[in-house]
Amino acid sequence: MKKRINCEKCDVPMNFHAEKLVDPVNPGEEAFVDPHLGGIVEEYHSCPDCGETTSIRSGKTS
Amino acid sequence: MGETRPLYIPVLLGTTRKGRSSLHVAQLMAHEVAKRAGVETEMIDIARLPLPTDDAGEAIKDAGYSERMNRADALVIVSPEYNHGYPGLLKHVLDSCLKEYVHKAVGLVGVSAGPFGGTRGIQGLLPVMRELGLVNIFWDVNFSSAHKAFDENGKLLDGAYLKRIDKFLAELIWMAKTLRYGRENIGLE
Repeated sequence: MKKRINCEKCDVPMNFHAEKLVDPVNPGEEAFVDPHLGGIVEEYHSCPDCGETTSIRSGKTS
Repeated sequence: MGETRPLYIPVLLGTTRKGRSSLHVAQLMAHEVAKRAGVETEMIDIARLPLPTDDAGEAIKDAGYSERMNRADALVIVSPEYNHGYPGLLKHVLDSCLKEYVHKAVGLVGVSAGPFGGTRGIQGLLPVMRELGLVNIFWDVNFSSAHKAFDENGKLLDGAYLKRIDKFLAELIWMAKTLRYGRENIGLE
């Protein structure tokens, strides 16, 4: 179960609507690589009130 | 909620070249977008974005451009075709953001001095749009012999383009509304 992210502007729960596999670009990011997928899963969340979009590495939310 | 917010659909002028015919095209597109009810727009000229060329990607993100892309529900990209490709500086600008684009609509407008209306440049842009998370529409607009399509003041000389622009914008606005609803209300399973 993913944690919900609240909008920084509206403080309402954002909607998690997309994931993208990205490559690590520095050694500190290696810990977030999903060994089965071969990269880091970046999550994208949008606010239903103001439309603000934010992204976060999935390893930091689960 | 989201239904009350106007759509924001900026027009990106994708070339910095002096004497660019694409300027007239981008101005026309912004003028036509602005006529649509419930839609706000502006032209973003990449020549006016202060992006350095000694680095690239999100490291050189411009706050103003990022804010506009974050606010955008869709994007119209006006791209000339240079040597069968789209301009390198357009890619440089596009690459400076990512999360701002994801699951938003994009419509492509090709411009060329020759007879093919920038179609080869558009074909090169399509895989880039996908990788940036942008959702392309069916309709394109193609300006062939662009230097003959406008007078020296930027007035469109061939009204036939307007019908195609109507079709293009109708689909783009539909896609923008649909994707906004999805981004803000439909969760990824």
